[in-house]
Amino acid sequence: MESEIGKLHQDLQEGKISCVQLVEEKMKELKDSRHNTGNVLLDDLARSRAQAVDAKLKAGEEIGLLEGIPFGVKDVYLLQGAKATASSEFLRNYEAPYTATAIKKLMEAGAIPLVKENCDSFGHGSSNENSAFGPVKNALDESLVPGGSSGGSAVNVAKGHTVFSIGGDTGGSIRQPAGYNRVYGLKPTYGRISRYGLMAYASSTDCVGPIARTLEDIRILLNTMSGKDPQDQTSITSAPISKEVFETNGPGIGFKVGYYTSFLENKALDPQIKADFLSLLGTLKQLRIKVVPLDFYDTEVLVSTYYILAMAETASNLARLDGMTYGKRLTADTLKKGYALSRSVHFTEETKRRIIGGNQILSQGHSEEIYQKARVLRDQILIKFKQDFQEVDVIVSPVSPGTPPTIGSSLNRPLDMYMSDAYTVGFSLGGLPTLTAPIGTATGIQLSGAKNQEDSILKFAKLLTEAAKWN
Amino acid sequence: MEKTMPLDLLSSIKGAQSSEAVNKLFDVIKGAVPDNHTEASYDMDEHAVSIHDLRSDEPASCDADQKELIRKNFPAEKNGYLVVPKVMEE
Repeated sequence: MESEIGKLHQDLQEGKISCVQLVEEKMKELKDSRHNTGNVLLDDLARSRAQAVDAKLKAGEEIGLLEGIPFGVKDVYLLQGAKATASSEFLRNYEAPYTATAIKKLMEAGAIPLVKENCDSFGHGSSNENSAFGPVKNALDESLVPGGSSGGSAVNVAKGHTVFSIGGDTGGSIRQPAGYNRVYGLKPTYGRISRYGLMAYASSTDCVGPIARTLEDIRILLNTMSGKDPQDQTSITSAPISKEVFETNGPGIGFKVGYYTSFLENKALDPQIKADFLSLLGTLKQLRIKVVPLDFYDTEVLVSTYYILAMAETASNLARLDGMTYGKRLTADTLKKGYALSRSVHFTEETKRRIIGGNQILSQGHSEEIYQKARVLRDQILIKFKQDFQEVDVIVSPVSPGTPPTIGSSLNRPLDMYMSDAYTVGFSLGGLPTLTAPIGTATGIQLSGAKNQEDSILKFAKLLTEAAKWN
Repeated sequence: MEKTMPLDLLSSIKGAQSSEAVNKLFDVIKGAVPDNHTEASYDMDEHAVSIHDLRSDEPASCDADQKELIRKNFPAEKNGYLVVPKVMEE
């Protein structure tokens, strides 16, 4: 099975390249990049870790699979002693006091963090234009947005500046930029990877996940980062996924695949994406896979349910940012005015929109009518998913209704941006594992499984990737 | 009498106004009709953390490096003291 990590590991072990050389090459690419993907380069840390790997190799020691492999970290994760800005003005100078569990696990396995990657500020956005560090440019066309919020991470992987990157996905923030830049991106089952050290956006859907160029790399990284963590009470125990998951037994292999008809009825769906998606369903049938149409909620209801819950949660999570104990502080003649001034000046317009919306949702008079109703809708969505996965193994869907817009064209149309998440947010509400694969449509396809069924979606993605090659 | 707190106070954001885009999301939710599945086998509690699985409620001390970084992140310092902007007025 093709693996970029595996190939580089072999090259390092056989002395075809030194780790310092590898890290320097990637660092130069990041510095020279026109895509604005990096907020902070971790030069010193990366070099010292690369030197340690080379010393081991020189001494004739075996190195681990991830040892010496350079990677990127979305700038919403904490890495002790490094800047952790959340692409915000508020935290531009903040230094992380500890390291996030997922990043720590990768570093314990020997991987080398190179860069804190540009993203939408606090994860608030779907285009990576909402950043205090400026917009990121799409890997395939610099005039287009890269998607968001993990835009810098997806572009770095697509351009090869990092071997893999760790994104964060609350409502599609790994899957949509992965689709826009034609790479793989996995949002695992909620809780499979600890959220400890990930800056909270909407805690009930926040997920840590890998972005990579091969499926095998996604499997390796998922296994490395997964596991119950006492620091995150919502984390869960899971079994590692074996390499054999990719050993398919020819066409079909007994899969039953569902798709949501309401997704195809979305008026905003690009005709070519629709045609390509229908063509993909045709290919599945040719492979003797049973394809089942399923009913689901209207995409407007899914988007509204997600955003109402996410805004309520982010208003609570970001209430702690007031410039008192960390972050930038501005002072005024009273304490409360000082809080308000710090928050008004240092949050972006989109972040303020979500905080204000979240406080409206949670306030008296709105909470029953809006927040509680969104909770009821979410419960019903969970039940629907449970029923659907009794009928099918995998649900396939487009990643996005449209292709990436040009930079600057949608920043002032927040509703359009929210609606661009039409196909990703439902699976976030369900806590379901969902993979973007760069096949099928211009922005790829999503494969979703029942909770903890990452192995099914990886297996099916392999099958589809093979089928795409035949076609 | 019911008192509604203004949005700028609720959010600690100067001049906070409701957004047209967000209001449209509210309208969709108000008009949405949830399904009425009451599947007996479905247990909503599977999404909650069990009280039998909570970590002990004990303070955990930071190591020296963490303490130093936390101090370093404090926005203002003078003569070895961490400076707060104002004392609470109320």
